[in-house]
Amino acid sequence: MNEHVESDIPGRLFDRRLLGHMIRYVRPYTRGMLLAFTIIVPLTIMMNYLPLLIRRAIDDYLVPTESLTMADRFGGLISITWIFLGISVVVFFLRFAHGYLMSYIGQRIIFDMRADVFAKIMRLPLRYFDRNPVGRLMTRVGSDVEAMQRLLTDGLIGLATDVFTIIGILGYMIYLSPKLALILIVLFPVLLGILIFLNGKVRAAHREVRKRQSAQNAFLQEMITGMLTIQLFNREEDTRGRFSVFNQRLRDALLHSVKWFSYSFPATEILNALTLTLVLAVGGFMLIQGDPALTIGILIAYLAYLRDFFRPLDDLSEKSNLLQSAMASAERVFALLDTPEEICDPEKPVALDRFRGEVELDHVWFAYNDEQWVLKDVSTRVRSGESVAIVGATGAGKSSIISLISRFYDIQRGSVRVDGRDVREYRQSDLRQRVGVVLQDPFIFSASIADNIRLFNPAISMERVVEAAKYVNAHAFIMARPGGYEEVLHERGAGLSTGQKQLLALARAIAQDPDILLILDEATANVDTETEWLIQDALKKLMKDRTSIIIAHRLSTIRHVDRILVMRHGEIVEQGSHADLIAADGYYKRLYDLLSHQPPGK
Amino acid sequence: MVCTFMQPEPMPISSYVLRYRRWALFGFISVACAIGLGLYIPYILKDVIDGLETGVLDLHGLKKLIGTFLLASVLASVFSILMRRILLGVAHHVEHDIRRDVFARLTILDRGFFQRERTGDIMTKMSSDLFSVKDMIGQGLLQGSRIMIGFPMAFGIMFTINARLALVVMAIIPVISIVFFVIIRLIRKRYDAAQEQFSLISNFCQENFGGFRTVKGFGIEERMKSRFRDLNEKFIDLNMRLTRVEEPVWPFMVFMFGMGTLLLLLAGGRLVIRGDLTLGEFVQFNQYLLYLQWPMLALGWTSNLFQRGIASWKRIGTILNANPDVFDRPDVKPAPPQANGDIVLEDVSFADGESRLINNISLHIPAGQVLGVTGPTGSGKTLLISMMCRLMDPSSGRILLDGRDLRDYPLTALRSRIGLAPQEAFLFSDTLANNIALGLQPSDATSGFPHEEKVLWASGVAHLREDVDQFPQKFSTMLGERGVTLSGGQRQRTAISRAVALDTAVLILDDVFSAVDTQTEAAILAQLLPILRKRTAIVVSHRVSTLKHVDRIIVIDDGRIVQDGTHGELTSRPGYYREQDEMQRLEARLEGDSP
Repeated sequence: MNEHVESDIPGRLFDRRLLGHMIRYVRPYTRGMLLAFTIIVPLTIMMNYLPLLIRRAIDDYLVPTESLTMADRFGGLISITWIFLGISVVVFFLRFAHGYLMSYIGQRIIFDMRADVFAKIMRLPLRYFDRNPVGRLMTRVGSDVEAMQRLLTDGLIGLATDVFTIIGILGYMIYLSPKLALILIVLFPVLLGILIFLNGKVRAAHREVRKRQSAQNAFLQEMITGMLTIQLFNREEDTRGRFSVFNQRLRDALLHSVKWFSYSFPATEILNALTLTLVLAVGGFMLIQGDPALTIGILIAYLAYLRDFFRPLDDLSEKSNLLQSAMASAERVFALLDTPEEICDPEKPVALDRFRGEVELDHVWFAYNDEQWVLKDVSTRVRSGESVAIVGATGAGKSSIISLISRFYDIQRGSVRVDGRDVREYRQSDLRQRVGVVLQDPFIFSASIADNIRLFNPAISMERVVEAAKYVNAHAFIMARPGGYEEVLHERGAGLSTGQKQLLALARAIAQDPDILLILDEATANVDTETEWLIQDALKKLMKDRTSIIIAHRLSTIRHVDRILVMRHGEIVEQGSHADLIAADGYYKRLYDLLSHQPPGK
Repeated sequence: MVCTFMQPEPMPISSYVLRYRRWALFGFISVACAIGLGLYIPYILKDVIDGLETGVLDLHGLKKLIGTFLLASVLASVFSILMRRILLGVAHHVEHDIRRDVFARLTILDRGFFQRERTGDIMTKMSSDLFSVKDMIGQGLLQGSRIMIGFPMAFGIMFTINARLALVVMAIIPVISIVFFVIIRLIRKRYDAAQEQFSLISNFCQENFGGFRTVKGFGIEERMKSRFRDLNEKFIDLNMRLTRVEEPVWPFMVFMFGMGTLLLLLAGGRLVIRGDLTLGEFVQFNQYLLYLQWPMLALGWTSNLFQRGIASWKRIGTILNANPDVFDRPDVKPAPPQANGDIVLEDVSFADGESRLINNISLHIPAGQVLGVTGPTGSGKTLLISMMCRLMDPSSGRILLDGRDLRDYPLTALRSRIGLAPQEAFLFSDTLANNIALGLQPSDATSGFPHEEKVLWASGVAHLREDVDQFPQKFSTMLGERGVTLSGGQRQRTAISRAVALDTAVLILDDVFSAVDTQTEAAILAQLLPILRKRTAIVVSHRVSTLKHVDRIIVIDDGRIVQDGTHGELTSRPGYYREQDEMQRLEARLEGDSP
């Protein structure tokens, strides 16, 4: 349910479809990326020139020669030192510029991706949220996006840097001594092969660790949440036992990964030592034989080059690891971005200012999934300003009607019309801004009470907020709070009672000044009688002179409406006023009996 | 069984490590050997270079030196492998042990703790905080010992070769340290600022995804998107501020090491030209300089690891050192085998800080009585029954079961005598059958699933069976994310089944019909009441339709019993209960009269 629990399946390294997707994000920064690439060339050339300088110092000045005086040798040494210093300074700036540039581009790419992912999630249909816990979506916006950015910047550019460094060093080595360089060229594929093999082992071990980690976390999370239940039913001992199995499995996987990690880390050292041994042997032999192509300075420079040569090599094999996990992230993010939105805005949405408030369901057939019809050929018409209550047993399709009017779902057959036009002709946000929905479990943002009422709309003045709160009887409890309207509410409205949250939701609905009001008023426990009365009173006022459709649970709410629709198994079976329906002595009468606290058979 | 509720003393972190001291010692020896060999290798290089330069080295000598070089290198790598495997392995063992103890501690902590601590925080403590501690131990032992042994040894050798040259070359160290120290603090400050902004973004996302019905319902996606952009824009600014101090660090380090080489070239080169230093010694010196790079870099990293590790260990300590308020007294005696279910509350009060939530309640519930509890929201009903099943202890007064203080029962024994179906039942992602049989001792399934008979009976009583029969997998249906999601009413009925299946002497039902329609409620009660009367039962409810079936009703208001009597008695007296009854009747009558 959160970021601790997620299976981690590595993606394939080079997936053309994914790369295509990613290029879209890189394109705006092509020039920056190209610049970063270009910097790499002088950087690697200069960086790896330094051992060559040392060779020159050794061969030309340090090794005793008859042709130069002591003073000349000192002078030569000092001039080499100056060059060394100059190059070091330039390398410092190039490195910094390169790093800064990459960070900047990386940050911008993250920004773009995050904005896209967030916007996409906001466009997804309701059923997507039912299937995907919030924690999973958070991972997409958070770490998955970051992993992808690392893939693009560190990954791509890092790869290029490593390759350039290896080429650069090889170039210098060939220049210094083609014979010695031959050793490395012959060994190179073998070295790379060994490193890739070891890294593969490490990666496989890590994957197993992550799998077990995630299994353990899933278990852990559930047990922590249900700990009191476990205690009440005396299951502690048993639960500890079950946990220790997870814990031991994780430890064993970790120890296994440590084993391969321990091999892979000194592997570079060993390979370095082996190559060095060969170079020393061949080089020493050549020197003893008096081969003029080799000097002691070259041999010493080789010491430095070999050392630098293995770093990017190791990096390269490690980077493939990073790339793979980033690919998995990329796959998840793009899968999200490619999720069909199902409910789309029309090409040319109908302009919308205000609704008169006519709602019509015209032979509506609707199913959440293809098999079961939730609404079967439902037709009804709500006049402007009319208030309608929908009653029926749970699952009769009441709340579906409300979801359809604000177009949370699209219907399979028929038409849902507002002011004579199909809801699919409006832009969704336009439609929903004019159609207010009061939910039974209102969502409270961690923001001030005022912002919760105005929903961050700067156009709604403070006076309007207070007016709305007064209208729905919420003003008194708001003023009783320490911060009044400016009090910042906590996550999910902790500290507010259920009743207060509902009053706030009513104030929010009225502050948005909707033309059509849809109210889900299912039974809510934990509301005391007084608040209950305040809510009922507010509802009564809200529904006056406004097209309103309420899903009523309590009969006291239904009293005030103009018309009652009685639903059963997805169909409207009866409609009319309360008195008419009671007189008709049909299904409503039975529902009514049930609702009025008379257990049947008594 | 009693011992599971004892409170073991929390251990300091050192004792977790000391348990593996023998391994750690082997690890340290490996570190010392690896370092020793690593520092010996430049000597061989020196001999090779000097031999080659002066021309005194023949092929035989070269072979010998190279053989030694290879052997020393291979041995060094072997020890390098050993030290990592051993010391990092120790860290993982410690991690496992700590995690085991933390979980064990969680199983004895009580309601108060789980109300204070959010699940996400506990999870973080058991994952990322524990990783920091593991890193502190593993990398701390490994790098710490490498630095402590490697640094002085390399420096010492350089000093013996040429003291003045060693001092000159080492001039880079104070510069590196000072810059490092200053910049690390700056980095941390800016990093924290960026992280803070990131948690704002996280919270923002969490709210918008969690409250998507509201966001979509009011069509305010655009507004939210632009707020999200603003938050992110600021995040990038903060990150770039961090980058400006963080990005130069590595290039600067490389530059400074380069300066080390430069100093060696200048000062050492002079000595070589003068003949005071051999070329081999010059190379050897350079090797040590390179050897020192790592500990210098690791110093900052390791100290960082330690700081983080210690902070994390403190956070883990909030679990490990937490003590439950409800636990078995050391002198607790075994419970009598039989329980009748006679409950007495003697002057029971409960205070949370300043506010007294339960005020001097005294009450006798004889065995076999079905007691209804009602009262306004927040009056203390749930609190009262929480004390009856000892989820918390009263601040003063006592609760007796069969004449014996609840605190004198071992918790396990008490909980097999008092069953609770809570307001919001927690269902595990397990089969429905296992969820119902939660409190029953695990047993092998003889047919179908464990405790089949009991589960069928209990679910029948709670009217859950009809629903279950519609599931394709019946009682083997998995619940939770990978299985079916039960409706509110089904959850409550599962909770009732689970509690009924236990056969406890006392059964408490806390508002378990709120999501069940009245028709089903009546049907369940018809089956449940005869069973409840064989025990002692407490039924909390707001509905008169529920309460009118019970033997006796108490009304709680503001932590006090304000009314006590049968349905008939209470409806004939003025007070909360009659008001409720009248209101609910009035409501019904108004419906009938309305035109």
